[in-house]
Amino acid sequence: MTRTAAATAGFRRRRNKALWTGLLFISPWLAGFLLFQLYPILMSFYYSLSEYNLFSDPEWVGLQNYKDLFGDSKFYLSLYNTVYITVFGLLPHLAFALGMALLLNMSVRGQAVYRTIYFLPTLVPAVASSLLWMWLLNAQYGLVNELLGAIGLVEPNWLVDPAWTKPALVLMGFWGTGTQTVMYLAALQDVPKVFYEAAEIDGAGRWSRFRHITLPAISPMTLFLLVIGLINSFQYFTQGLIFAEASQSVGGPENSLLFYAIYLYQTAFSFLNMGYASSMAWILCVIVFGLTLLIFRSSARWVYYGGEK
Amino acid sequence: MLASAVGLAGCSDGASKPPEESPARNEATPTSAPKEKVEITFWHVWSDKDAGPITARVEAFNKSQDRITVKVLGNQDATKQLTAISGGNPPDIALTYWNNIGPWGQAGAVLPLTDYLKNGKVDTASFVPAALERMKVNGEYYALPFTFSMASTLMYNKKAFQDAGITKPPETLEELFETAKKLTKRENGEITQIGFIPDYPWIDNVFWPIIFGGSWVDANGKLTANQEANVASIAYQRKFYEEFGMDQIAKFRSGMGQRGTPNDPLLTGKLAMMIGWEYNFPEERKPDGPIGIAPFPHPANRPDLKGSGMVSPRAVFIPKKAKHPDEAWEFMQYLVGHESQVEFSVESKTIPSLLPALDDPKLRGNEKLVMMHDFYERAKSKTLQGFPNSVYINEYLQALTEETEKALKGQATPQEAMDRVVARIQPLADKAASKS
Repeated sequence: MTRTAAATAGFRRRRNKALWTGLLFISPWLAGFLLFQLYPILMSFYYSLSEYNLFSDPEWVGLQNYKDLFGDSKFYLSLYNTVYITVFGLLPHLAFALGMALLLNMSVRGQAVYRTIYFLPTLVPAVASSLLWMWLLNAQYGLVNELLGAIGLVEPNWLVDPAWTKPALVLMGFWGTGTQTVMYLAALQDVPKVFYEAAEIDGAGRWSRFRHITLPAISPMTLFLLVIGLINSFQYFTQGLIFAEASQSVGGPENSLLFYAIYLYQTAFSFLNMGYASSMAWILCVIVFGLTLLIFRSSARWVYYGGEK
Repeated sequence: MLASAVGLAGCSDGASKPPEESPARNEATPTSAPKEKVEITFWHVWSDKDAGPITARVEAFNKSQDRITVKVLGNQDATKQLTAISGGNPPDIALTYWNNIGPWGQAGAVLPLTDYLKNGKVDTASFVPAALERMKVNGEYYALPFTFSMASTLMYNKKAFQDAGITKPPETLEELFETAKKLTKRENGEITQIGFIPDYPWIDNVFWPIIFGGSWVDANGKLTANQEANVASIAYQRKFYEEFGMDQIAKFRSGMGQRGTPNDPLLTGKLAMMIGWEYNFPEERKPDGPIGIAPFPHPANRPDLKGSGMVSPRAVFIPKKAKHPDEAWEFMQYLVGHESQVEFSVESKTIPSLLPALDDPKLRGNEKLVMMHDFYERAKSKTLQGFPNSVYINEYLQALTEETEKALKGQATPQEAMDRVVARIQPLADKAASKS
């Protein structure tokens, strides 16, 4: 009895020692996390309940910022713009990336060259590619309208007409889907060939092979790209800011480019309204968290992991 | 990083600086007995490419005395300055654009200059009033203007005028409208040349109301954006859209070349007239150049508003938490002083914010600055104005832009649009008043 107790105590001591040693080893990261992530997160929550202009001491206002937010038409507008770019941007971009991955997965001569060429635009920084696309999208001389005109389609005034500014960004987004494509490509190459062979023997056509083997097999990757894409899309900022500069403003024509993150930035650094901006950040956090949860909840129904029946 | 700018005393256009700054005219003698040596930091907004003239001023100050050494750092935009100031590690003195002074000043980030001005060598009466007024928040000066930009000029394409048989630039706004019509050409119903676009290159929510004698806030803190003059200024702009067509202008505009390039629409004549700032077309507006200049037109029934226009000064301020505010003030007095502003203006073709400096022979007698002479003269105009500085200035300007845009597009009447601005911003003004 006593001996076992002593042994347990010794074991516990050793285990504690191991724990402390472990903590010591990760202490640089831990300190960084506490100081530069957890503390700012908690502080921003406190600021969201106060009126704070960066310089004077925060004044406690309780839920006032949140109340104001839900009565602020620009909050809803910026949210609408952001949801728009997510729904009409993220999903088509993923579909496009998958399509490209399928093409780049075929055994063609010089496939490595195609893959390289296709991935190159992704290396261009967002600011540079936005400036480049503003040239392409020029209503009178741009290459895009040149092509649209050649096939007899409408030639929109991309950067000026509020109805077309967001579609212009979506269009530009197709150009930067290299990363998603490469990841889909990796997933595609992971699909066991056996499945396809078996399906072919059973007389499955191309479409049904894609529908019943490829899509389920790469569904974990789809889940990953969807969640990451959603988080990024809700923080859409740089491209919108650059495009808006075409009309010498922050939000673009009729605020059609006032994305959530841009409005948040403007509130914080131009209006010096840190409390309000913090509450916007928390609402954004709640929205993204909720949507992510929703995707994960639904994933049981459409995501298949290897080894599962 | 800074080394590249050091020693190049802004020789971008060969304007060499006469080697003077004699210690005899030293403007920075310490007010008391000599103290120990101090090093202070000065931040400004210019990138290395354009930092020559300001760096030259700093070096001249460092040479002029041996107590204070100023270290200069460029490329510090508003966000960077704000971050440093709020992080408690600000520069001792900084240069920014005037509209930051209101929010930063009222937030408590900037040192008010009231006490310094009482005992300093700076005579506030010698500044261009409109430029100095921008530095004022709640009746106190938080900064001093170091040169300023000015829009009170009509710039036009001389050839377009000739082709249309126009012999003199319009003097009233009514004439401006008629002249714009004459200068607009269409082919197959599409605009190929346009006389004037009131919101080119941007929706100007300050310039236009000033031209009509408008204002934004009265003595009792009531916002006046919806008063008659301001509304008239928007209705006037709207007339151009009714005349030429919203979609027509938008389509034509999208094909105009980029500003400041050889394809600039004013240079190519696609746009015949525009609101001109002193930094537009400095070379092309010389007497034998393709661009003509004239005072911007005034309303026919308001000849008293001749010479109106807006000013946009650069502001020099001392952050509240600066470690060496006294030495920063010494440097500030030098920087905004006569000699320093004249030298800077010679090198960078800007307008000094001191009235006596506007007549300095170094500017007026300088052939290289011939394109600036008109501007120095117009900078003395009593009818120059600016936007009142306040803690809520950026929200106010943003709201004005948003609602003006709706009015120009015909989605609201000018009156409705301006009423909405006041409804949106008055609560902020009241709140600011209750706090100060």
